[in-house]
Amino acid sequence: MAQDKNHDTIIIGGGVAGLSAALHLAERGLHPLVLEADPEYLGGRLAGGEIIEVNGYEFRLEHGVHGIWSQYRNFQAMLARHNLRPVFVPAEEETWIYRKGNVLKSAKIGSTIRRSFLPPPFHYLALFLRPSFLWMLDIRDLLSLPLTWAGLVMGIGIDPFAESQPMEGLTLGDMTKKWSPALRALFLGLARNGLASHPAEVPMSGFLAFLRFYTLLRRDAWVFSYLPEDGGTSICEPLGDRIRNLNGSIFLGASVTQVIRERGEWLVVWETAQGQESARAQHLILATDSKNAENLIEENLNPDELFFPRSLANAVIRLWFDAHPKAGAEAGIFTGEFTLHNYFWLDKLSNPFRRWARETGGSAIEAHIYGPDEVLAQPDAILLAQAIQDMQRVWPELRGHRIFAHIQRNPATHTLPAVGAKDKHLGTVTPWKNLFCAGDWVQHPAPAFFIERACLTGIEAANAVLQSLNIEPWPLLAYLPPEPLAAWIENLMQLGRGKIRRKRNRG
Amino acid sequence: MSTYLRNFLRLKQGQSTLDPRLAIYYATTRCNLNCTYCEDFGARRNGEAVTTTLDDAKKILSIIRDGVKNLWITGGDPLLAPHLFDLMLFARQDLRFREISLITNGTLLSQHLNLLPLLDRLVISLDSVEPSALAAVSLPNEQSQSVIAAIEVAAPLQKEHDFKLILNAVITPETLSSMDALIEFCTTSHILLSISPQAVNNWPHFDLLISEEYRAFIKRVINLKKHGAPILGSNAYLKTLLNQEPYACYPTIIPRIMPDGCLIYPCLPMEKEGGEIGGRPVNLLGVSSWNEAWQRAIDRYGEAPSSCTSCFQQCYAEPSLIQSRPISWAWERLHTGIDLGTYGPG
Repeated sequence: MAQDKNHDTIIIGGGVAGLSAALHLAERGLHPLVLEADPEYLGGRLAGGEIIEVNGYEFRLEHGVHGIWSQYRNFQAMLARHNLRPVFVPAEEETWIYRKGNVLKSAKIGSTIRRSFLPPPFHYLALFLRPSFLWMLDIRDLLSLPLTWAGLVMGIGIDPFAESQPMEGLTLGDMTKKWSPALRALFLGLARNGLASHPAEVPMSGFLAFLRFYTLLRRDAWVFSYLPEDGGTSICEPLGDRIRNLNGSIFLGASVTQVIRERGEWLVVWETAQGQESARAQHLILATDSKNAENLIEENLNPDELFFPRSLANAVIRLWFDAHPKAGAEAGIFTGEFTLHNYFWLDKLSNPFRRWARETGGSAIEAHIYGPDEVLAQPDAILLAQAIQDMQRVWPELRGHRIFAHIQRNPATHTLPAVGAKDKHLGTVTPWKNLFCAGDWVQHPAPAFFIERACLTGIEAANAVLQSLNIEPWPLLAYLPPEPLAAWIENLMQLGRGKIRRKRNRG
Repeated sequence: MSTYLRNFLRLKQGQSTLDPRLAIYYATTRCNLNCTYCEDFGARRNGEAVTTTLDDAKKILSIIRDGVKNLWITGGDPLLAPHLFDLMLFARQDLRFREISLITNGTLLSQHLNLLPLLDRLVISLDSVEPSALAAVSLPNEQSQSVIAAIEVAAPLQKEHDFKLILNAVITPETLSSMDALIEFCTTSHILLSISPQAVNNWPHFDLLISEEYRAFIKRVINLKKHGAPILGSNAYLKTLLNQEPYACYPTIIPRIMPDGCLIYPCLPMEKEGGEIGGRPVNLLGVSSWNEAWQRAIDRYGEAPSSCTSCFQQCYAEPSLIQSRPISWAWERLHTGIDLGTYGPG
């Protein structure tokens, strides 16, 4: 084993959470060490990936297309402070495509939701003024509208993250069980697209928190952009360089096997291609994905029973064509009888793909499959064939124009947002002295999700270290409040819930 | 039909590529100052500065006039452009732009007072009236007094030459505490004041984002404006400054043209990024009409985006916000005499 070295803080995990923590510590003059298990790429789920060649053009792959939402305020502020914030590619439109048997319908929904003239939570009603949307529905949908809205309005009254409200045993499936087919398909599709998970697996707490953060309380919450290139090139690698410039250290290919508390310090042991290494630090930040955090804690720290949100696998299909589809939105969701769950026309979003499309007249699409497990368990060739069939149904004009296909299996690292009981779901501060957690799976009252939650908890973990050293912590940016009508309904619902609680307690 | 109304109807139809309401022409990229917040053309970039000949500049303005009614001339510092008076005379008398605005740092203004009769708006970048705050961001002590003196000369000439004098102040962590004194100065000197936060990487400076003092100041500005203070800016814009709420940006309302005639499309941040969503697709010296230039730009980079959250810059935010708010547009015109849809100090 190589000799132990001492650092102020060791951060396990070089994703957004770990990099955010490292940057904020390095900016305050500390010398954090980041250990990333991937031997090549920094950034976790936001990392860049392998480069593939298609007809002489190179494309760098990644975990999957990422949305940078307007509510990702701390993440964007962090990047801007260091001149690392790229000019994003604004999302223009998202289409909802619904298939039942041989009937295929589609409607543009994204711009209508974010530019609705109606205040939230009624802004979705603007969809009903679009003939293409109405065409998606049948009489049952219209009749069940009050029930659907009642469910959503009830949802406004519960803030699962702020209240640490697990809503145990309830799933999205339960909430939408009595909804009409098309509206149910739409909301399940939105949840599947937003949470990158199969609806049957989505806990109610995660779904309500998702709705609140991304759409239910503000129209502009649905405003988002794409990265101009893959996540590694656009964000994580420049971020890593900045951390190194500020005297932080980053080791790639360092797979941590042991964390041991001894002599008032943390000893961290990791495997590399060359063998075993270790280092000691006063502070430790665990910034891996949920599953790896669970494994490290269970194997090394002998905890009482803890709650960790599930980590999910998915598949990403990319197809290249030598022709363009007929005009349409750059992205959308599939619902009903599809294997695929969403799509992104890369030649409208990402610089390298745009350049290639301009020079060759081609087009390229990325589509995601979020489950269920039995679908993901199929061999690559079968999954790819199903995906191609789905796409040919929607864009028959591209039949015979496919020039390349690629399937990528992402490991089970994607967090399925959920809230655990307060004493079982780890927050940034843990029961172990000077061990802090960061990541999109970590308990925190902020409403943020995914990249923003990883960044926010990364800053919070860094702040915990700074405070223990009597160094000034970093301020966090607040999230935009609900629009007035949504705020009023939220207050009303919470007052009502308070009354019911008090009544029950008296009873 | 006016461009404003035509654009308003287009918005209602869901279109995002709107017709320009003003064009910003950089007379030169040379500058004699190095403002700390400037991400464009400070003196440190004079080695690569561009200024074109008077003939070419006239041709460029002629093409602009073919499609745009209102003109902003900026820089660098446009007063460093050797032919500025002749160019503005041409713009005023021959091309008959409806409104002509000039934005300058004011250091050379006392030598160019002959420009005033040619202007509808003179915008001077002045971030404070306190020499120490100015020295911290832009103006060395010896120049700040001469700029203020030039402003005091120009202010009383507004009626005589029928132009409006506007101070454009960038709020920085260094100038924040002296902004109240600047409002007071503008009030007593009968000058309009417009404000914008310092941008870093197209976003408000982090120290301002987290500053309670900044928020309190913006709230004070909103209140002062309600009570008649000479502050330029729609309520929507000032609230955007307060909360950094995303807004729908329509950058094609405010196209920018470089000194050599290159059209920036769809906006400066996207052009600077140098990717596939924006750039300098066409030179106005190589086309015969504004429409031709515009079509080439769209052919190269596509329709302009409509839900961009990449910047909070005043030059894009204010005209974009006002474009979708006819009541604010009308109210501000009555209140200050300024059409905020054509206000875009760049």
